[in-house]
Amino acid sequence: MKKNKYITLQLALIIYIFFLLFFVAQPLLYNTSISFQDPSGKLTISNYIKFLTDPILHTITFNTFIWTIGSVVFQMLMGLIVALTLARPFHGYVLARMILLVLPWAMPDVVAAVSWQWMYNDMYGVINDILQKLHLVHFSIPWLSKPELARAAVIIANIWKGYPLSGMFYLAALQGIPQELFEAAAVDGSSPLQTFFYISLPSIRKHIITTLMLTTIWTINYFPLIYTMTGGGPANATDTFVTYAYRLAFRFLDFHGAASVSTINFLVIIIPSLIYLRILNIGGETTI
Amino acid sequence: MRKLVYVLFVLLVFTAISSYAFGADKLTVWVGGHVVEQEQTWKDIIDSFEKKFGVKVEYQLIGFDVYYDRLVAAFEAGEGPDVSFADLGGWVPTFAAKGWLEPMDKYLNNADVTKQIWPNLWPTVTYNGKRYGLPWYTDCRLLLYNNIMFKDAGLNPEKPPKTWADLLSYAQKLTDENKQIYGYGVSGKKSEVATLGYMIFLYSNGSKLLDDNYKKAVFNNKNGIEALEFYTDLYKKYHVSPPGTPSYGEDDYRSMMAQNRVAMAIGGPWSFPLIELANPDIKGNYSVAIHPYGKKPASVLGGWASVISTTCKDKELAWKFIDYITSYDVWMMWIERHNGPMPTRKDVCANAPGFKDKKWQVVLSTFPYAGVRPPIPTWPQVSEQIQLMIQKVLTSDTSASKAIAEASKAINSILSK
Repeated sequence: MKKNKYITLQLALIIYIFFLLFFVAQPLLYNTSISFQDPSGKLTISNYIKFLTDPILHTITFNTFIWTIGSVVFQMLMGLIVALTLARPFHGYVLARMILLVLPWAMPDVVAAVSWQWMYNDMYGVINDILQKLHLVHFSIPWLSKPELARAAVIIANIWKGYPLSGMFYLAALQGIPQELFEAAAVDGSSPLQTFFYISLPSIRKHIITTLMLTTIWTINYFPLIYTMTGGGPANATDTFVTYAYRLAFRFLDFHGAASVSTINFLVIIIPSLIYLRILNIGGETTI
Repeated sequence: MRKLVYVLFVLLVFTAISSYAFGADKLTVWVGGHVVEQEQTWKDIIDSFEKKFGVKVEYQLIGFDVYYDRLVAAFEAGEGPDVSFADLGGWVPTFAAKGWLEPMDKYLNNADVTKQIWPNLWPTVTYNGKRYGLPWYTDCRLLLYNNIMFKDAGLNPEKPPKTWADLLSYAQKLTDENKQIYGYGVSGKKSEVATLGYMIFLYSNGSKLLDDNYKKAVFNNKNGIEALEFYTDLYKKYHVSPPGTPSYGEDDYRSMMAQNRVAMAIGGPWSFPLIELANPDIKGNYSVAIHPYGKKPASVLGGWASVISTTCKDKELAWKFIDYITSYDVWMMWIERHNGPMPTRKDVCANAPGFKDKKWQVVLSTFPYAGVRPPIPTWPQVSEQIQLMIQKVLTSDTSASKAIAEASKAINSILSK
């Protein structure tokens, strides 16, 4: 009986491994191999040399950095605030959770991008309208038309799109903290701030690190929002590794060049991934 | 959006069915561009072709947003459709250079249809001296403007601006920044429309982008700088284009025009149904004219051509299909039903009753002035440099002459490869 179960498990695993090989390993190998070829199929490293000596490298590295840091830091902060808000039930809890934790995450990328584009619009966008009604500004701000503003604007949109994931992780972690700890703290006269710093935060520390790693990897690779909202403009201000690789492949039909950009991007992403794996391992040895 | 989802779904089903149920002896056809909206008409055309030649055609109508990426991916995988539609903005030479397309000269040289095609269309489908496509429908860019806003500003909609000086004075009269109403929309977003906008200003100032052999940028001169300065000054200096100009293109301005917020912008025959869709009340209250010019009237043409893939098994049949859809009778039927887009056949343009309308007469009289985008495989890269050049001037203190010098240098290096 026990042996049968073991075989079933192995079979289930084989299917999984097959899909992994087919959808992850195969494209990865293919991508790496064409990145070392020229259009005629000859072995070459010219794709890499071309990309690494292209002046655009500085721009997109800088942009990818700002985009990732800005998005990740604020997504995690927003997620934490929302998770703390939702940690205790209150009136209208289900609806609030739906709006705060499900809506942005569930909205398709392109729909979200187009909606934000409309909100940022300086002719009839709602953001400018609100700012003017509050008398914060007395003219419309062309959000997507100035390089610095556009950079901030896509990051703000991405924070909104991505914070629910962090929020969900934290919420799950917070709800897993034994209620007795809070009760004990309350009996000892701990202030809400003290409770947060001495009970909640240490309890979800592991989750924060996990979320940080995953969000970082996903943000570096996240593409549709920028591409739909600005196309990488104005004047390359929002161009990242992935928008550049996409453009090389699907606009300039330079599949080999795009493959080399993707490979370098992959190497960059490997770093947080390795740190993440290491932390997971440590997590296996020690208890929270 | 629902339409897009629907199209994608149909696509998936078709792809699934076509790869399993049918053999290779059928003609596969992919149609792209604005014309895919007319589903019933395409069905009728395909049905009549199938009856006439006793063959089976599998066709897909693919929305513009996904068409290029899908087509490129299919060709790259060696599974391109037998017959497909390619945009006249450089797709044909780009695909031909990749070896994806079959030269069509041997069919075109003996076909009646060849003589009827507007002659300025041929460069768009030519690569290394060979023709790789038969243009199917076309258009040219014009000045689209809002009659109501003209009247409100005390301007006569019957007398559109003719020169750059007119354009500026009209735009200034039409602009009211306090009400967020603007006279002219400068296409500034990072997309092909910015390139097209600059090209109209450049051509009309007596210059052009590349030399006749497409080996060198030739707009780094007085006329080119003047054109870029005027194009960008409309936004930077005169403020007759909205503050969001670097993120807007002609499609955005058309929507604003439908709401009486932007009075003039670049448009074309495809704009007519779209502006009426955005605001049905605008019907009868917008016009087109030849775009205001610096030294001489100018326009840039666009459109789509039918092409045959090198992997097609029955190329004769593919040609018969292309010849059939480009025939006089099919086109007359199409125009009778939809009154647009503009056919590439001169005889249909001359005889179609719907084209006697004033707006279409403007289109037809402008068309001979329309130039093409350089038909070279590196056009997407070249166009990107022009977009960057425009955005640099629009969003920073970079002068037009410096931006042009940088762009020419980058373009020359692209062309020399």
